[in-house]
Amino acid sequence: MRALTIMLGLVLLPGHALAQFGNPAGWAPDSRTDAPGKPAPNQTNYQDRLFAQLVTAGGLAEVELGRLAAGKSTNDEVKAFADRMVGDHTDANAKLKAIADKSRMPLPDRLDPDHEKMRADLEKLDGARFDLEYMKAQVIDHQKTVQLLVWEIGLGQDAEVQQFAKETLPKVLEHLEMARQIQAQLADDARVRPAGTK
Amino acid sequence: MPRLIWYGLPCALGAAALTLAHAGDPLPPDTTYRPLPALPFSAVRANDEAARPGVMQRQRALLEQRYDLADRPAAVMMSGGRKAVQEGVRVKLPEGETWDGLAAMSPQEIRDRDLLPDGFKPLPHTKQAAGGQVFPEEQITEIGRDEARDLRRFDVDFDLPAHLTPEFPPPIFLTTHPELGDVSRGDLLTIRNFYEYMNGIVTPVQMEGLRLLLTPFPQEEFNQTEDRKVAQPSLGVACLDCHSNFHTNAAFHLTPDIRPQAERFRLDTTSLRGLFNQQIHGSKRSLRSVEDFTEFEQRTAYFNGDHVSATRKGVHLPDRPNQVAMMAQMQNIIDFPPAPKLDVFGRLDPAQASEQELMGEQVFMGKGRCAECHVPALSFMDNAMHDLKLERFYKIGETTNDFVAMPDGPIKTFTLRGIKDSPPYMHDGRLMTLADTVEFFNLVLGTRLTGEEKEALVAYLLTL
Ligand code: HEC
Ligand code: HEC
Repeated sequence: MRALTIMLGLVLLPGHALAQFGNPAGWAPDSRTDAPGKPAPNQTNYQDRLFAQLVTAGGLAEVELGRLAAGKSTNDEVKAFADRMVGDHTDANAKLKAIADKSRMPLPDRLDPDHEKMRADLEKLDGARFDLEYMKAQVIDHQKTVQLLVWEIGLGQDAEVQQFAKETLPKVLEHLEMARQIQAQLADDARVRPAGTK
Repeated sequence: MPRLIWYGLPCALGAAALTLAHAGDPLPPDTTYRPLPALPFSAVRANDEAARPGVMQRQRALLEQRYDLADRPAAVMMSGGRKAVQEGVRVKLPEGETWDGLAAMSPQEIRDRDLLPDGFKPLPHTKQAAGGQVFPEEQITEIGRDEARDLRRFDVDFDLPAHLTPEFPPPIFLTTHPELGDVSRGDLLTIRNFYEYMNGIVTPVQMEGLRLLLTPFPQEEFNQTEDRKVAQPSLGVACLDCHSNFHTNAAFHLTPDIRPQAERFRLDTTSLRGLFNQQIHGSKRSLRSVEDFTEFEQRTAYFNGDHVSATRKGVHLPDRPNQVAMMAQMQNIIDFPPAPKLDVFGRLDPAQASEQELMGEQVFMGKGRCAECHVPALSFMDNAMHDLKLERFYKIGETTNDFVAMPDGPIKTFTLRGIKDSPPYMHDGRLMTLADTVEFFNLVLGTRLTGEEKEALVAYLLTL
């Protein structure tokens, strides 16, 4: 059902919103054009494909770690943040998957080794220690995602993937801002309170 | 008291964070480095040429949505008397809003209701993905005629109407010869004419500096590789192709200081007038001498902040004592245009200034708070960078014409001497007239100036 609304959303996008004028020097060598100077839709270059891989891997991790944090944390703000990550990134992953299917890009469907390790490390922690480490990792992951989205907007070729990046960027910036604030608060608390107390 | 004990904790956590956060791949290489072309030059060119009308139409639509681009000359001419200053506020207000209404709102309210005029936001390059230097038609024509050198790109054209750019060619005033006035002869300095025009006026050292500043070097969009944006393998670009007659012709580029590409903001060429009094150079780099800036600009291919790409296209390494010093010495004798109404302290002479201009000066020094950064005794700068925090007023991360607007961060305070000669304004040229800059700073600084005070301030800026 959700996938359907997302598909509709894409179809209803006004044509000009997709108008992107990339540098053709970065197109895939076998690109076909619709009109002169305009690549036909759903053709990807190396940046689109790597972007889809990395952002999907990141999105899967957001959902997995978000579930972990929502279950494990006792801090309301961290829990709310984690819930939001599960919701927003589930949506974003589905959106990107729909585009990737059209553009025939296979995507990862399980956690990458880096995030596997991160999850294993986080599972060993509890209380304030867990919250702080989870939020720290969230800040870094969102910083990296922001740069990836901007990269795709600049150098991608597939207009739909680029449109996805444009729509997702303001949301990820919001997440980053939230994560930075919560992390700063937790670090402050850690300085004035013993670990494990609340 | 027990607080002390907990100071140890952040260190312990920091160490743990390393194991958690550090395990990861870096971002892809071309988030920082420039990718090599993946298509043959002929295919890139054909596609770029085909896309150009659409690119320019899109930019035109953006400009028209943001600004009133009409030709409305004021009675005041620029310093060379070759072009009129344009008057009036050109940034368009959102439907149903007024300047006073906006100035009365909090930044938060303006942001939440999406009311910041789009013309106050960062201005995109005509083609963000490719970026690079774009020259105005006048410069392309003149260099084509005089040097048979091609400055025309096949992927983009210049985007602003000519009446909104500086007079061309700009006059040249020398600190070494105030008595001569404009020494440009009303012509553009080029590698062909500079010796004839300047012999007898400059020293041998300055002449050699001038020669180098006019010597084109193949670089970036104008080079011989498949990574160029000009039809024929190029003879290159000279420093004074952007800094026409040591001023500016409004040629634009992208900032060298930011990556990834889509986030690099537009840069409007700055004037080189009054460089002798400036302690920091570049809107973001804060380089500490004209020599450093000159050497570096040549080294990293005119504004891409990319020595790697520059090296591939043929690098020019000017010799510091023998070439850079001379180029710098030439730039350092370029004066601001005369401002007859200013005294030696940079204050208006009441015997010459009008009531309105004097009132404008009062606003500038007082309620408008302009002089806190634009200090009259320091050529109306403070040799510092300031963060105006415009993102208080709008949501960051929006993409316009493939350009992602992020906070500008600290930017150098530009001089206001001779300011009527150098539209468009701000580091990216986002404001077309001085009246626009007054509305901009009134909002950003929260000074709540009246209509009368704003008009007086504009009149005052025209005397500088
Ligand atoms: C593509 C047009 C272009 C070319 C070519 C160019 N410049 Fe510039 N110049 C600019 C722009 C744009 C700025 C503003 C840079 C910034 O804000 O970081 C600038 C800034 C400067 C400044 C610093 C002004 C200040 O005080 O902030 C100096 C000095 C300068 N240029 C000298 C040179 C020299 C020397 C060369 C040749 C090696 C050169 N420029 C070539 C466009 C150009
Ligand atoms: C807090 C320091 C500060 C104050 C106060 C300030 N300015 Fe500025 N001004 C700057 C900076 C920094 C820039 C460059 C900003 C940019 O390009 O993004 C600038 C740029 C300008 C420019 C454009 C210069 C150019 O070459 O494009 C004008 C005009 C200007 N200011 C006028 C004013 C006026 C009028 C006031 C008072 C109402 C004022 N400023 C107050 C720091 C300040």
